[in-house]
Amino acid sequence: MRNVLAIVIPAGAFSRTEAEILSAGRRLASQFGAELTAAILGPSDDSFARESFAFGAKSVIRVEGLAGYQSETYSIAAQQAAAAADVILFPSTTYGLEIAPGLGYRLGASVILDCVRLEGDSSGNLTITKPVYGGKANSELVARHGPVVIAMRMRSVAPGEKQDGATGEIRTIPAPTLSPRTQILEHQTEDAGSGPKLEDARIIVSGGRGLGNKENFVHLEELARILGGSVGASRAACDQGWVPATLQIGQTGKKVAPDLYLAVGISGASQHLVGIAGARHIVAINKDAKAPIFQVAALGVVDEWQALLPKLSDALKEHKARNS
Amino acid sequence: MFHLVVCLKQILDPEIPPADFKLDPAAQRAAACGSLVVSIFDENALEVALQLRESVGEAKITALSLGPPTAVDALRKALSMRADEAILIRDEDFPGMDAHGAARALAAAIRRLPPADLVLCGRETGDWNGGLVGAFLAAELDRPYTNFVAGVTKQGDHFHLRRQTDDGWEVVRSTAPAVITVTNDDHNLPRIPKVKDNMMAFRKQVPMWTASDLGLTPASVAGPNSRLEQARLYIPVVDRKCEMVGGDTSESRARQLVERLAALQVI
Repeated sequence: MRNVLAIVIPAGAFSRTEAEILSAGRRLASQFGAELTAAILGPSDDSFARESFAFGAKSVIRVEGLAGYQSETYSIAAQQAAAAADVILFPSTTYGLEIAPGLGYRLGASVILDCVRLEGDSSGNLTITKPVYGGKANSELVARHGPVVIAMRMRSVAPGEKQDGATGEIRTIPAPTLSPRTQILEHQTEDAGSGPKLEDARIIVSGGRGLGNKENFVHLEELARILGGSVGASRAACDQGWVPATLQIGQTGKKVAPDLYLAVGISGASQHLVGIAGARHIVAINKDAKAPIFQVAALGVVDEWQALLPKLSDALKEHKARNS
Repeated sequence: MFHLVVCLKQILDPEIPPADFKLDPAAQRAAACGSLVVSIFDENALEVALQLRESVGEAKITALSLGPPTAVDALRKALSMRADEAILIRDEDFPGMDAHGAARALAAAIRRLPPADLVLCGRETGDWNGGLVGAFLAAELDRPYTNFVAGVTKQGDHFHLRRQTDDGWEVVRSTAPAVITVTNDDHNLPRIPKVKDNMMAFRKQVPMWTASDLGLTPASVAGPNSRLEQARLYIPVVDRKCEMVGGDTSESRARQLVERLAALQVI
């Protein structure tokens, strides 16, 4: 048996990110024949404890008196919460990826970031799947003993069933006191366009190098508006400064899981495909019939986007009018 | 003098097409199926260091790589981008080295250099995508660590680090000396070396240190990640068939696409 601890770092309201990490933890704990504990790091109301129980935690550790995120303080708090844990799960958020390795270092734990699958067995063996080589290959690692710190890739876990009203034990530990060496001076939310957050979007219209310039993203915004979706981009488009880095999807950006992912002028480099592995339907529009994006797409159109997109907007508007 | 150390790894070109990518089953890693390049974010890290040097006026930049003798080419690339010095730590005698060990070796090398005010690494390498060495290096050196940094300014005796977050960006104030890992953004695209700098880089001496020179032993570079056993390394099979939407004109293709999307019930 191995004790599993899920680390929850509140940022705004309880979101799918927390639901995923708790669900991954509950599944693993049940494979070990053990129970899941959740540690809530950061100021939060009761909703985070309530939701943690609903998503399968049997006990919750709250850290009393923690202010906003600070890496060293949160990392020590995580270490105190992890005293009895054998497997510690983080989400692969900026903060999760920042503190998970340092925690592992102090615990003498094996550390694996950006994992997509965990399989435990009743003897406590843990098999971890992690994409490597920018998503071109998968590595399966087996951890048989010693503590393990894992960061799960976002949108790689389907949130499990929720049991509203479930409760459990809440334990409170005091926040560590130390003189931190870093301090967040300013936090800005980048305007990610008018649509929903990329990670939560049901429909994403995404553009790449083929768009050619910044101004052409207007056409994607128009399409996203008609579809009620959000605009995303490949690394190539972000590196050119055509769109903010917050729109970047791929190995080095957001991982998304929409019902429909419409890739326009995106060739489909493996590092981009990593970010859309969770998409239900991928549709590719590209003038190059040999573009690798067509190998993962369910539907493809070989055409110049400049010619196709205006017609597509018209056809979608007509479809909407007919069905409303 | 203000001293910046940039850690760079030489890796198999991550941009090679998936069709050309092959594994070496015996070695349990990628086969030599493409050229060797400087890992993507490591070049961004060097670019951030170069920009910081430009903004403070004077600074020394040391490029450090841990790898086989071929990694000297990665260091020459760094020199051609105008790093001042480059040092290779040869790792071929340490096959059991894990991310903890790599950080230990880099830390040992950094301690031999003039005191470093800032150590910069890429946020993860483009081969194993581990994302660990920078953070472990900060722990080894007992320095504050900040990740996803896209740009750095020096403010008095502190650094102001602009870093990407999940929903935007932050400015993090860090004491010096510090360790950061760098991600890409449109302000740190690696510069293209000038021809004369390429020639200069070729003539420059690159000292090679072995891990034994640094007082390391095979046992001291096998950290907790060497407890993990890689049971399988495989290329995932994509079993999807793309249905091409036909039609003679863009209009008819657009209409057929909408019909298919409606049939899939996604619009």
